[in-house]
Amino acid sequence: MKKLTYFPGCSAHGTSEEFDSTLKMVLKTLEVQLEEIPDWNCCGATSAHVMTENLAYALPMRNLVLAERLENDTIGIACASCYQRMKVTKVHLDANPELARRINSTIVEEGTYEGKTAVKSMLQFAYEDIGLEMIKSKVTKPLTGLKVACYYGCLLTRPKDITQFDSPEYPMSMDRICEALGATATEFDYKTECCGASFSISNTEVVENLSGKILEMAQESGAHAIVVACPLCQSNLDMRQPDIEKHSGKKYGLPVFYITQLMALAFGYPAGELRFPKHIVPVEGALSNIGKVVPAPEKVKKPTKAVEAESEDN
Amino acid sequence: MITLGSQGKNTFLAAVNAKSGSNVLECYQCGKCVSTCPVSHFMDFPPREIMQMIKLGLKNEAYMANSHWFCLTCSACSGRCPREIDIPAVMEAVRHLAIEENYVNDSKKVKEIRKFHEIFLDMVKRYGRNYELRMMAEFNIRTRNLFKDMHLAPKALLKGKIPLGVKPLKSAKAIKRMYEVAERLEKKK
Repeated sequence: MKKLTYFPGCSAHGTSEEFDSTLKMVLKTLEVQLEEIPDWNCCGATSAHVMTENLAYALPMRNLVLAERLENDTIGIACASCYQRMKVTKVHLDANPELARRINSTIVEEGTYEGKTAVKSMLQFAYEDIGLEMIKSKVTKPLTGLKVACYYGCLLTRPKDITQFDSPEYPMSMDRICEALGATATEFDYKTECCGASFSISNTEVVENLSGKILEMAQESGAHAIVVACPLCQSNLDMRQPDIEKHSGKKYGLPVFYITQLMALAFGYPAGELRFPKHIVPVEGALSNIGKVVPAPEKVKKPTKAVEAESEDN
Repeated sequence: MITLGSQGKNTFLAAVNAKSGSNVLECYQCGKCVSTCPVSHFMDFPPREIMQMIKLGLKNEAYMANSHWFCLTCSACSGRCPREIDIPAVMEAVRHLAIEENYVNDSKKVKEIRKFHEIFLDMVKRYGRNYELRMMAEFNIRTRNLFKDMHLAPKALLKGKIPLGVKPLKSAKAIKRMYEVAERLEKKK
C-alpha cells in the first residue's frame, strides 16, 4: 500500500466537497493511504501572490514544513490552485536558500524547511505514480458510450518549468485516464484555456466571457460532459453555466464532473454516493449515454495513392 | 528624455527586472502575448504595451494601467513568448511595486478586484483558512453591492455547495504571527 501526504485545500470543505469525498473513495480502491497534513492552512491562492510576495511564499511554506514531518515522499494536492502555489513555492525555495531562510523566519515554531517532499497534483500522482494499467485493472463498470471533454485549465500543466508535468498546450494525461475508464475523450482545443478562476466573485463578467467560450468549444467537440480536476474550474463552469446560457442565448446543458467522480463510477461505486445532486447542471442526461452502443465512426476514404497534381501543360 | 536600452538610467526597468527575475529588454514586441492572453481585451493596455512602457521607463502609466490587476497568472503568454520572458512575473512585479509606492487605480473594476483580495487575505489572517460563503457576503457588503449573485445563493445553499460554518484553525495564532513577521519583512526591504 502506497502512502501519500494529502493537502485538501479550503474548498474541499466547501464548494468541492464532492471532489474530496470521491477522491478518498478512488484512492482507497487504488490502494493508496492518505495522511492529511495536520492543522494545514490556506495556501493563499490566489490573493496572496497578487498582493504581497512574502505571504505568497509563507502560507504554502508552512504547509510544506508541516508535511515534511509526515515523512512521505510526496504531497498530493487536490485543488489545482493550491497545487500551483505550493509547487511554485517549493521550486523557488529550493533554488534560492536565501529566500527560504527569509520566509522561514515567519514560521519559526513550525520548524525549518528542508525541501525533501515532492509536490504533485492528484492528476499527476494518478498518472505517474499509480499508472493507467492499475486504474484500468480496477474498472468494473466501464463508461463506454460517454463522451467527455477533458478540461485541465491553466494551473495543472503551466508554467512548464514549475509543474514539470504533461504538455502546457495540449495535455493528454486526463484524456488517457478517461479512456482507461472506458469513456471517449473528445478532441477539445480549449483544454488549457483559462476559465477566469479567481475572478469568480470580483469580476464575474470576465468569468462568464472565458467560461462561455470553453463551454461552447466543449459542446462543439461533441462531448456529453466536461471533466475537470480543479474546484475553481468546476464551480465556474457548472455554477455559472445557467447565467452564461442566459446571457449568450445558447443552451449547453453540459455537466461538469470531477475526474474522481467518473473514476469512482467506473470502479463500481453506486451513483448515489458520488454527490451528483450537488451539481447545478443535472448529470442524468450525460450519464444515460453509458452503455449505449456507439456507432463506429464513419471511415473517411483515404486515397490509395497520392493524388497527382494536374499537369499544366494539358 | 527617454532612453531606451539603458538600464542604468531607467530605474523602473531595473526594479521590474530585479523583482520579476526576467529581462524586459528582451521583448521585441511581437505581440504573441496579446493574442494569447484571454483577458487582453479587458485591459487598458495589453501586455505587449506594458512591456514597452517598462522599457521606456513610463512608470506612472504602467502603475495606473488596469492590466496588472486583470492578469490571471494563467501563464499562457509566457509559455509562448519567443523571448521566454516570464510575463506574469513582470505583471506581478509592476503590481507589487505600485502597491508599495501607494499608487491607487480607483476605477470601479480595479477597486473591486483589490477589495476581493484584501478580504481574502483578511479572512485567512483571522481563521487560517478561507470560507467561501463568508467571503462572498463580505465582498457584497464591502463593495455595497448586496444583491450580487444572490440569485445563485438559494440553489447553492440548498445543494450544500457552500457551507455556513466558520471556525478558526487551531493554528490561527501561528498564522497571525506569520502575517506580522511578513509585514515587517515587507517594510524592511
